[in-house]
Amino acid sequence: MGTVQHLGPGAGRITGDLGDLMPSPYPRARTRQPDRVQKIVRNAGEALITLGVVVLMLVVYEVYWTDLVSAGKQRDATSALDTRWHDTGAADAQRQEHFQGLGDGDGFAKMYIPAFGADFQFTIVEGVSNADLEIGPGHYKKTAYPGQPGNFSVAGHRVGKGAPFNDIDLIQSCDAIVVETQYNWYVYRMLPTAEEKQGWAQGKGKEAKCKGVAPLGGPYKELDGQQIVLPTNGGVIAPVPPNGGKQPSKGEEASLMTLTTCHPRFSDKQRLIVHSVLTKQWAKDPKKPDERPPELEEI
Amino acid sequence: MYAWIWRHLPGPIAIRVTLAVALAVGFVALLMFVIFPWLDPLLPFNNVDVGE
Repeated sequence: MGTVQHLGPGAGRITGDLGDLMPSPYPRARTRQPDRVQKIVRNAGEALITLGVVVLMLVVYEVYWTDLVSAGKQRDATSALDTRWHDTGAADAQRQEHFQGLGDGDGFAKMYIPAFGADFQFTIVEGVSNADLEIGPGHYKKTAYPGQPGNFSVAGHRVGKGAPFNDIDLIQSCDAIVVETQYNWYVYRMLPTAEEKQGWAQGKGKEAKCKGVAPLGGPYKELDGQQIVLPTNGGVIAPVPPNGGKQPSKGEEASLMTLTTCHPRFSDKQRLIVHSVLTKQWAKDPKKPDERPPELEEI
Repeated sequence: MYAWIWRHLPGPIAIRVTLAVALAVGFVALLMFVIFPWLDPLLPFNNVDVGE
């Protein structure tokens, strides 16, 4: 057995029989030590690649992960609501809607937009805090409840978190927004837009699904079906939108529903607002709990 | 950076690979469960309500 004795960098002495361990007669090129510039460039490159991956993961988190988390919370809220309706419904012979005592994030109604397909269904929760809106569309606490005179207003995410209001810019006038409560179905329909108001009665107003939808008069004269406003414009959820005008007399008070979300998509510069008016109410028949209003079949 | 981490991982190659994977998973978990949820409310498209 041979030995190799090191004498210093690049120098050594071999003694004895090395057999297969005989060093190659072609010495290996010395591994070059990276100099400082190379080190800096390499570390900067690695840091940039890492940053890129982190940003990609943030995208995945926002558009995919939060959807999954919110879908779970929405499912829990829906089943809690179903349980509550089932448990309290039987004992209540009056079949009066109760909206008092709702806590933050409690579901109290379901909304459907048939134009978005039969699977568009969300449980509306109380409150519009971040935590509430993660569960689903949230009800502005100070506004009316479904079916009541006033302005039932609901905010919803447009990006991530289930994005319930992703497409509300595509709702057209007269499209139904159906709200289910414990004892009733309420059919709201989007009001005519500013361009459609002129000549509504001769134009779109003639369509069958537009029955009960017309430009509102009186204090609601300024109200359009869709508007884009600044985030500070709280008037759009006032009982008389869009500017929170004077309170109408009892007789002319309308039952409205308003949806709000961010606009343009991925921005918070403005808010997209959709206003609709109550056109029909179906009381649920306790003997036929599975009966659904015909409006849900509309496309 | 990554070469430095790799050099400082102890043990034979199998353990080093395991540790490296564990580090990567831990980093992703930290992002997904701590950093991103903190960052989320600060992103503009999460503001969907009106009023002050």
